[in-house]
Amino acid sequence: MEINMGKRTDVAIIGTGPAGISAAITAAVRNKSVLLLGSADASDKVSKAHSIRNYPGLPDISGSELAKSFLDHLEKMNIPVTDKKVTMIYAMGEYYSLQIDQEFIEASTVILATGVSFGRPFPGEDENLGRGVSYCATCDAALYRGKEAVVVGYAPKEEADVRFLAEIADRVIYIPVYKKADADAMPQDLFPDHSNIEVRRCRPQAISKRESRMVLTADCGEIETDGIFLLRESVSPGKLVPGLELDGNHVKVDRSMATNLPGLFAAGDITGTPYQYIKAAGEGNVAALSAVSYIDGLAART
Amino acid sequence: MSVKKINSPEFQSAIAGGVSVVDFNATWCGPCRMLGPVLEELSEEMAGKASFYAMDVDDNPDIAASFGINSIPYVAVFKDGQKVDEQIGFVPKPQLQAFVERNL
Repeated sequence: MEINMGKRTDVAIIGTGPAGISAAITAAVRNKSVLLLGSADASDKVSKAHSIRNYPGLPDISGSELAKSFLDHLEKMNIPVTDKKVTMIYAMGEYYSLQIDQEFIEASTVILATGVSFGRPFPGEDENLGRGVSYCATCDAALYRGKEAVVVGYAPKEEADVRFLAEIADRVIYIPVYKKADADAMPQDLFPDHSNIEVRRCRPQAISKRESRMVLTADCGEIETDGIFLLRESVSPGKLVPGLELDGNHVKVDRSMATNLPGLFAAGDITGTPYQYIKAAGEGNVAALSAVSYIDGLAART
Repeated sequence: MSVKKINSPEFQSAIAGGVSVVDFNATWCGPCRMLGPVLEELSEEMAGKASFYAMDVDDNPDIAASFGINSIPYVAVFKDGQKVDEQIGFVPKPQLQAFVERNL
């Protein structure tokens, strides 16, 4: 589905697991415009489940069957899934701005239902974010003119950003930390046209600062550089939404699934344990109803 | 008041007196584009308390380098010419307002 960049959506929902899909269904039932963003085949965590035994009405359903019924339900209600990655969500006051690639789309409310797939940060990562650690090569590349950078990439698509950075920086060390299949498929010479990119195959462990430079400690030794770019598949919710209040690794919500940011709700595993499909679906329903009343409140104010 | 765009030659005199908030940004930076309107609103609401400026790091690499900026948006607060605080990355308006106010 193409995104309509010009129009503000009522409810943007990030994630296509039980929480996101349930939220989308409820918001649509309540006649709100919905933008559902996530994997088009529903979350991996659903489709790969062996069997689910406590989903009322669906005894012993397999994950793939449940995922299929979820998608059928969406289709029946004409709710398309937009298979695009949201890199950042900005609280603009009266609305939210979602960054998708280099475009921005607007939504009155957002429901975060991305699950808990993000890993732990490296020791030293959070302290140095913005001070030598960056998550966005296209954002910060220009500040590395004539300098050196290390890029840790979690998927082959990040190689484009490595090339982009190498056009500006003097020297780039690229550390691919791919899934096995991608790592096995990686050619020996990954960047034949860029003599200033060096590929190192090792595992990063920690980040620290030394004078004005950065140090990446890895199982192949220490690398001293000017900046470290970490290009991950998914980032933690606090980094996805600047200003969002967390409770440990989870998003802090109240019983209406509201976060500390007005108009932004969260549902599913991202709000904490128990990690159960039916709990996620229930929270998606609550979040959508809360988003609907928030929108109706906005309309009443103007 | 609004956010005034400045360049290197005007920088020192701009921040010389009182409280100045300088937004270091670039046209290609997504978070900077989002932070811009937030700063505009704040500059209106905080008129008389602080002066707001914007500097493009591409046009003014010397100033950006002198503050060791390696990630933008980078918002710095200056008091009588001295940098007293910094905020890196996008933050929603209430947090940005609190950041400026605690440095007044």
